[in-house]
Amino acid sequence: MARSWMDYKTGAWVQWCPGCGNYGILNALHRALAELDIDPSRLVVVTGIGCSGRSCYYTKANAMHVLHGRAIPAATGIKIANPNLTVIAEGGDGDMLGIGVEHFVSVGRRNIDITVIIHDNSVYGLTKGQAGPTLPSWWRTKALPGPNLHDNLNPLLLALASGYTFIARGYAYHVAQTKELIKKAIEHKGTSLVQILQPCPTYNNLMTKQWYEERIYYLEEEDPNWDPLVASPEDFKSKMSIILEKMIEWGDRIPLGVFYINPAKDTFEQRLEKVIPTYREYPPAARPVAANGKPLVDPWQVFADKIVKA
Amino acid sequence: MAQNNVDIKFLIGGPQGGGIESAGQIALKTFILKGYQVIGTREYQSNIMGAHSYFTIRVKPERPGAINFPVDAAVVLDAESVLTHFQDVKKGGFMVYDTTTLKTKIANIAPMPKPLKDRLTAFFQERGLEPTAESAVKIAEENGVKTIGLPMKNLIREVAHKTGAPLSRVSKTLNTIGLATTLYLLGVEASWIEKAIAVHFAAKKKVVDMNVEAAKLAINYVDEHIGGPCCFLPEGPNLGKEAMLVTGNEIVAIGKTVGGLTLQTYYPITPASDEALFLEGHRNYDLAPWAAEALELKKLGSVVLQTEDELSAIMAAIGAAVAGARSATSTSGPGFALMNEAISLAIMAEVPVVLTLWQRGGPSTGLPTREGQQDLFHALFSGHGDNPKIVVASGDHIEAFYDAIKALNWAEKYQTPVVHLVDKYLASTITNVYREDIDPLKAQIERGKLVENPGPDYLRYKITEDGISPRAPMGKVPLVWTGLEHTEDGMPTEDPVVREQMMAKRRRKFETIAREIPDDEKAVLHGDPDAKITLVSWGSTKPIILEALKILEREGIKANFLQLRIFYPFPTEKVRKILENADLVIDIEQNDLGQAAFLIRGFTGFTIEHFVKKITGRALWDTEVALAVKKIVETGEREVVVNGGA
Repeated sequence: MARSWMDYKTGAWVQWCPGCGNYGILNALHRALAELDIDPSRLVVVTGIGCSGRSCYYTKANAMHVLHGRAIPAATGIKIANPNLTVIAEGGDGDMLGIGVEHFVSVGRRNIDITVIIHDNSVYGLTKGQAGPTLPSWWRTKALPGPNLHDNLNPLLLALASGYTFIARGYAYHVAQTKELIKKAIEHKGTSLVQILQPCPTYNNLMTKQWYEERIYYLEEEDPNWDPLVASPEDFKSKMSIILEKMIEWGDRIPLGVFYINPAKDTFEQRLEKVIPTYREYPPAARPVAANGKPLVDPWQVFADKIVKA
Repeated sequence: MAQNNVDIKFLIGGPQGGGIESAGQIALKTFILKGYQVIGTREYQSNIMGAHSYFTIRVKPERPGAINFPVDAAVVLDAESVLTHFQDVKKGGFMVYDTTTLKTKIANIAPMPKPLKDRLTAFFQERGLEPTAESAVKIAEENGVKTIGLPMKNLIREVAHKTGAPLSRVSKTLNTIGLATTLYLLGVEASWIEKAIAVHFAAKKKVVDMNVEAAKLAINYVDEHIGGPCCFLPEGPNLGKEAMLVTGNEIVAIGKTVGGLTLQTYYPITPASDEALFLEGHRNYDLAPWAAEALELKKLGSVVLQTEDELSAIMAAIGAAVAGARSATSTSGPGFALMNEAISLAIMAEVPVVLTLWQRGGPSTGLPTREGQQDLFHALFSGHGDNPKIVVASGDHIEAFYDAIKALNWAEKYQTPVVHLVDKYLASTITNVYREDIDPLKAQIERGKLVENPGPDYLRYKITEDGISPRAPMGKVPLVWTGLEHTEDGMPTEDPVVREQMMAKRRRKFETIAREIPDDEKAVLHGDPDAKITLVSWGSTKPIILEALKILEREGIKANFLQLRIFYPFPTEKVRKILENADLVIDIEQNDLGQAAFLIRGFTGFTIEHFVKKITGRALWDTEVALAVKKIVETGEREVVVNGGA
């Protein structure tokens, strides 16, 4: 019997504020998982710190709640150790693009097969509303004593420059559409990003539900021929300028949908397999480390290159 | 000379990237083949090419525990080496130099550090000598050192002529010429040198031929112009015995591989990265016959992952560990500092992970390529919150091999971070090990309460009497690993009752560790237990202090040596008893704060009043330890700071 999205609920009290965008994201995730029929025992959700960090307690999975900014490297270690697991790393914009931005960048260089979900509300909610990395400069949300002096960064462009091979943007209150984006991201083989715009009704009094909904539109709705697939140099030549244009677009209009898919690049797991022939069958988490309590290795055999013999 | 009395010390100096490493290796291999045991240690600067570095070697029938100056011979083929080491050779010893460097003025040696230039210039000025390499040679002669000037240009030209190889390539045999001259004068026959060259360059036949030719030429030159050695060294007691020649970095990597490591992460840092690179070079391996048969499996591989920084290195190692990998990371002080927050996570989430900490001279970037034992506090107190973890310090290559295995066992058995403390001296000290030294069948691989088939009622943080919860890897059943305080199922809670229960559970775990790891593995008393002088130290000073004990005994001073192996859980009673039994306790460390003495006081209440310190970042010598101890014994001095070595 296929799974229902209800099967992914843990029963824990969800501690987010009423109206929080996280509810929509959580629900979209559960629906995506159900439609993909992913076994919670084989699913890993790693989260960072902040409101979104609690997500791992609300999704039936192998959950890991780590440090601020460090969901991606933990997820990387898990995926490399056991490539047979479905691995999702979740965090807010502060977590992923502020304190953890080095990992957000570096995971793209590996194209490891994990899904990165950013709960993007442009503020640090749990610490009471400081400016997040996606809050535009000179904006002053209500908790700030003065305007934000930092420019906002563009997660989509950063992901593209870093080597992500699937890049999408959704909106938290559009559960059905966001569910589709998450599904595609999970199904994609390689590092995928789903940036999910999310009002914070408590601390972000500027980027509200109304503010977003006056601006957002879906790429494929506006352009029925929208095609984010960049599988060849020809695709690159013909599609990248418009993809970049859409990634950059921000202000009066904010595009949503899948911006970019590159299926041509090998995943990190495939690269590892090339240099470690036994990797796929015996990955680090699922291989023997001893034989009846004795080591597997005779150093005089494996490290024979260190033997000094005339 | 009888083989039992053989004790040879020599150094090879030269610019970094100039073949010093290779010459040192050939020298070590020569003596191993000849049946002796060796240590070689490298002093180098944070530089790729051009700065002065040197390799000091000691040869004995048994494994030498320490190097020291003055040496019997020095190969110093560039002006900077001559000027750095002309006072490092003992009376009656010899110094091999290149005659073309004699006129070089100190001021013109660009890589030489200014403070050394100033000291040397003043030194020669006081003696009315020109500040040149020639003056250094003159002083060496006055000190009773035989100086042997080789016309290197001519010799190299001759090698080129004989081999037909281009001069640019032949010039790389410079060190071989200097080394062959030295080995021959030390009493090693040409045939052994040639054998070592062949072993060292292995398959590269042209390189072998060129270097053998260079060695022959050097030996002819010695016979014709200097006169060969008075007598040849007898063959050593271990002739024909199979030996590996390994650095400390390498032996730890070998230990981890034997210990069942399946994933290692790292970010490049001196002096740690050589360990990870060596692991990576051996990541695919054949199983030993006993394992291949038991598992019906021939080959396996481990992953070595270079990450974007040390935050990621430790987090990926932690991630891999919760997935079920036997995982480790490796770094030095600055990288370990970045790992601190994650260490705390691993303590709270109860993650089995090994951190190999290769200490170097700090604080901050400090002396990046030099020795230091300054990270004991750092290791023990790393991580915020109450932060217990196992901290084990290895004293030598063989301990490091077995500790690497044990650290992996302890991490998994006790679901805790284990810090394996090692240092730059161990990292870059190279020695021979025999089969009986590193025997894989002496090692046991343990994974503790690993649950392969957790049921639906599985509780990741089940409260148990011994404080250890059964551990299920990811991928079996939904579960939670977390850094928040949690209930047994891993769900976060701030409930005061549960908080106390969980803190108590984690404390009980360390009581279990304290009970299960025997005191013998936590602290070792070397020498006569009834001696009334006790030296206390930890880490790579072990073999050095053991040598110092012998020197002291010859001087009529009877002392023993308490080597601290595990700092947490600390062997409080054992250490207190030993220290209280002594009339004089002297702490020997390569840090300024006396960190171990401080911890001893904290754990046992025993206050150590006397200290020997070395903080120059150079290798500690047995002789300077012995002298310092003697001084304290005779004068009651509180602290003696030693500083040998260029």
